[in-house]
Amino acid sequence: MSDLIVNGQRYALDAQVGRSLASVLREDIGLIGTKIACNEGHCGACTVLLDGVPTLSCITLVHTVGEREVTTIEGLRDHPLVESFVRADALQCGFCTPGQIVSASALVEANPHPSREEVRHAMAGNICRCGAYPKIEEAVLTWQD
Amino acid sequence: MKLLQPSSLEELDAAGPGLLLAGGTDVVPILRNKLIDVDTLVDIRAVVPRGVDGTRIGAGTTLAELEVDPQIPAALREACASAASPQLRAMGTIGGNLRQATRCWYWRMHYPCFLHGGDRCYAQTGVHREHSVFANDRTASAHPSDPAAALLALNARVRTNRRELSISELYRLPTNDNRDVVALDYDEVILDLEVPTPEASTYLKAMDRQKYAFALVGVAAARFGTDVRLGLSGVAPIPWALDSAAGLDDATPLPDNAYKIQIARALIERALEAVG
Ligand SMILES: Cc1cc2nc3c(=O)[nH]c(=O)nc-3n(C[C@H](O)[C@H](O)[C@H](O)COP(=O)(O)OP(=O)(O)OC[C@H]3O[C@@H](n4cnc5c(N)ncnc54)[C@H](O)[C@@H]3O)c2cc1C
Ligand code: SF4
Ligand code: FES
Ligand code: FES
Repeated sequence: MSDLIVNGQRYALDAQVGRSLASVLREDIGLIGTKIACNEGHCGACTVLLDGVPTLSCITLVHTVGEREVTTIEGLRDHPLVESFVRADALQCGFCTPGQIVSASALVEANPHPSREEVRHAMAGNICRCGAYPKIEEAVLTWQD
Repeated sequence: MKLLQPSSLEELDAAGPGLLLAGGTDVVPILRNKLIDVDTLVDIRAVVPRGVDGTRIGAGTTLAELEVDPQIPAALREACASAASPQLRAMGTIGGNLRQATRCWYWRMHYPCFLHGGDRCYAQTGVHREHSVFANDRTASAHPSDPAAALLALNARVRTNRRELSISELYRLPTNDNRDVVALDYDEVILDLEVPTPEASTYLKAMDRQKYAFALVGVAAARFGTDVRLGLSGVAPIPWALDSAAGLDDATPLPDNAYKIQIARALIERALEAVG
């Protein structure tokens, strides 16, 4: 049986074939920061990083993760983006926020000074049902302030 | 369900037939919604080439990798950049994109329609604003792939583990005897694409919103010398080639989607202007 590496920690993977990474993170490991909303790859709420790449964990079969490192919102606790989302008041219900921050963290890692258009391109896969987009954009643009 | 993970083409052959799994962005939702029933999944990521080498593109290359690759023609880059969402582009491969299933909502909601093997198309008499305006007599499904339209305009060739064929040969209109829109065997694997380099090319896409939507109409144009090739998405059950805007006169729109012809006409005009 293979392992799953999440936020730097190794977990024994003991799941039925067909289960998603999101369900294993939440139900088996207890990392419930990763949200499941649509559960079919549309909304971005379940975004995690796989070796730094934003990935939809709800449509990732857990047995295909292999040795790639999973980073969830819990692994980004100390990221300045968390503070900037609070500062910019970039959420209402907050359900999309973990996914937003995970996507934004990959963007600023690759491009620390993104333009507004670059933010829009990189964040287009994170739907916010509350429509907090202007403030989400502001939070990402001012993440280093 | 079984998941096989062959590490070579020999192992793949030995694995026997199963549903191919690459990025899983289309396969996993389809399995979860029980739109198809399979007992064996074959994860082909280790056996399909990934990356770009001049005019050759590994079928395992992701759309995210292609959208920023300076080696490939602009039309393909732009088609990849405008497809799906950043996460889906990071996961989804070009091989999987070419073989993605229809987005027709009747099909996705498991109506027993023509493409599911049934005897009628629910979209023709139902809600079909986003459906096709060409070759829509059996199924009105509109082909959703942006990159396929670009590759059609670019006259790309496809190499599988069994043969080589052009993009126009890769797609077929479904018939009563064979409802597939792709002319591949169930377990045939696309290995790579050979994409000629045009003098100029572009991909223009009309959507309901500016980002992250399927094409209502997508138009790719590629100029090779004085010859311009056009490939369209969203207008027929398969990627659709036209010689010029005049070809739009042969469209057979449904009651609620004739607007697509006007959009196609405008996009073709702009695309031809862009490629000179
Ligand atoms: C919400 C959403 C929005 C989307 N929007 C767009 C859009 O705007 N434009 C667009 O073009 N696409 C869009 N897509 C489709 C997306 O781009 C494809 O799902 C993706 O590219 C498929 O690649 P994959 O590697 O994930 O394929 P998989 O899901 O793994 O496979 C898809 C199909 O291809 C087969 N397959 C995979 N690899 C190969 C291969 N090498 N050879 C032969 N068969 C193979 C599989 O058996 C399966 O039938 C969207 C998808 C979603 C979920
Ligand atoms: S358009 Fe095609 S997929 Fe949709 S209902 Fe008609 S036959 Fe089925
Ligand atoms: S929960 Fe995964 S994309 Fe919506
Ligand atoms: S804050 Fe409610 S969905 Fe984004």
